[in-house]
Amino acid sequence: MLNEDALKLLIATMLNVDITTIDEDSSMDNVSSWDSLRHMNLVLALEEEFKVTIPDEDAGNITSYKLIKLVLNELGG
Amino acid sequence: MSEKHNFAEAAHLLSPRDAALAVLAKTDSTMMQLTQAVTALEKEAQPRTIKVGVSSSATVDLLNIYLRKHGLLNGAKIDMVAGNYDDPIGDVDLFAQAGVDQIVLLPLFDNLLPSFESQLENLDSSIIDAKEQELRQRYRMVFEKARTVPAIYLGTFHRMGVAADASGQDVVAIVLARYNAALREEAAAFPNIRVLDTEDIVRTVGQSAAFDTRFYFRSKAPYTGAYMNELARRIAAAARGFGTHFYKVLALDCDNTLWGGVVGEDLLNGIQLGPYDYPGNIFWRMQQEFAALERQGILLVLVTKNNPADVEEVLSKHPNMVLKESQLVARKVNWVDKSTNLRALAQELNVGLDSFIFLDDSSFECEAVRQQLPMVKTLQVPSTLSDYPRVVAEIRSLCIAGGIAADSKGKTEQYRQRAGAEELKAQFGSQDEYLSSLELKVELTRNARASTVRISELSQKSNQFNLTTTRYSVAEIEQMMGSDSHCVYSLVVSDKFGNAGLTGVAVMRYEGIVAIVENFLMSCRVIGRGVETGIWTRIVTDAMHRGCTELRAAYLPSAKNAQVVDFYDRLGLPMTKESEGARHYTMAAADFALLPNPWIEMIYVE
Repeated sequence: MLNEDALKLLIATMLNVDITTIDEDSSMDNVSSWDSLRHMNLVLALEEEFKVTIPDEDAGNITSYKLIKLVLNELGG
Repeated sequence: MSEKHNFAEAAHLLSPRDAALAVLAKTDSTMMQLTQAVTALEKEAQPRTIKVGVSSSATVDLLNIYLRKHGLLNGAKIDMVAGNYDDPIGDVDLFAQAGVDQIVLLPLFDNLLPSFESQLENLDSSIIDAKEQELRQRYRMVFEKARTVPAIYLGTFHRMGVAADASGQDVVAIVLARYNAALREEAAAFPNIRVLDTEDIVRTVGQSAAFDTRFYFRSKAPYTGAYMNELARRIAAAARGFGTHFYKVLALDCDNTLWGGVVGEDLLNGIQLGPYDYPGNIFWRMQQEFAALERQGILLVLVTKNNPADVEEVLSKHPNMVLKESQLVARKVNWVDKSTNLRALAQELNVGLDSFIFLDDSSFECEAVRQQLPMVKTLQVPSTLSDYPRVVAEIRSLCIAGGIAADSKGKTEQYRQRAGAEELKAQFGSQDEYLSSLELKVELTRNARASTVRISELSQKSNQFNLTTTRYSVAEIEQMMGSDSHCVYSLVVSDKFGNAGLTGVAVMRYEGIVAIVENFLMSCRVIGRGVETGIWTRIVTDAMHRGCTELRAAYLPSAKNAQVVDFYDRLGLPMTKESEGARHYTMAAADFALLPNPWIEMIYVE
């Protein structure tokens, strides 16, 4: 089962925001520091911390909390 | 997320700061740990902040976190300013507006034209020629524009793919070598540019670990964290820890550092040192490396607990001894503790202890110096001798990061001269007697165009005897020499022991009837002989010939120049204003009168 607290902490750390601001609805559209640069680092961090390899076509598209959760669950992270 | 817990556990044992630094120092920290540690450390005050502009024809934002990491490891906060994609000329303007201290240029070979490596085989040679011309022109313009930026790091080209041809000399390899030669050639004319060999970074990291093609095709970001980490590490090294260190002296132990064994016990013929036999061949090889550093301007000193006669015997009689007495600027062969000896050496050579690297095989000695003199960079000869070359490679990278101007070579001779002079000083009754015996000659030159690089270098390096700490680039020196409103005086000091080289600079600015000393600086190794006052009669006379009747000068305090706080007072100038440590002086030029320094022979060169 995906550890959502760990996921929130990771997203908050990589986007340099307070953890309490990250919730189910967080996405590139409503977190101002979530830009394409930070997104790349975020993907790298997700791979390392959840021990998964995020496929090419997903890497650029998982730009919201829900999508990240979906992909991680699919990959069994 | 076990690594994160390790970080948390470690934090209980170490202070948060040390725990964060430990995360940075580890090679296998994850991106998440790295981000946490960097963010935490940047909240604390760092001794300095450096603004680095990064311009590339690839997406290199990933470099940001690694530059900040290596900055923090050196005690500097790095503020990275990202340029636009593939616009080095525009980026230089952008960086100038942002006030960057350093620029990193990272052109990507494969992006010279779309998928350049794959296209090459199909391209007509005229296009390859034209592309080279364009490349040269473009970078010449970039370099010209960035002439006044203190430091530029230029990454050369590397390939991303590997040659299918077993010889390795496919068309990519050939064009790559040609274009790299072109880049190096264009960069060679600019003393502020240091070249970074990116092919060597790829070799070090490993071809397969250096690139991540997922982000390359999508967003032109070819590099992995491993590549960026190594690149940032090399930039930090080339920038001397982002300006935090400048090593000039290598202090060497003898037994089991310069040779194997203990000379006091194994005797002259028993120590291990020579080109052919193990382990003597390792020590012999390391001595070759130390000798090369000496030729490049690093001062070598011995700090060893031994009988002086034993060490003397090895130096003069051992057939395989590479380092000779003439290459050692000073020696402390005694039974005094090493920290005391290092302190004494710093004083004798007039060099700060933070300019010292200390190498010893004993953990006890290393630890003692680390504790008592933390500003000295202490390194230990590894007990596994085959690792010794790696340690010496580290010393080399600490020492010679950044170019060394021709005049910096032969430094040993100049410092030895000083150490010799210090000894002489002890034998004379009065200071004047001593100074006369030195047979000092000062050659004062106005606008010495052949010495602009050395003049600029001196203005960058001098801290203690530097009245305003204004630093000048080569371009600024050249510009002032060519202008009507400025004069750059430089002086070369020699005495009966030898020539100390170009060791002083005075920059004058003329505004109507006012002659202003914009800055005056000298190398510390010629201070205390009256040279600093002896030159002014001529400079003031020159100013009066131009029609100047008023003389102005100022002392601006820095962290290091307290030594010259009253320099203009000593010169006889009346202080007109003092605020926040800054002192301003004004005087009628005609009133300027100095007691002659009879012991100095002044020579003027136009």
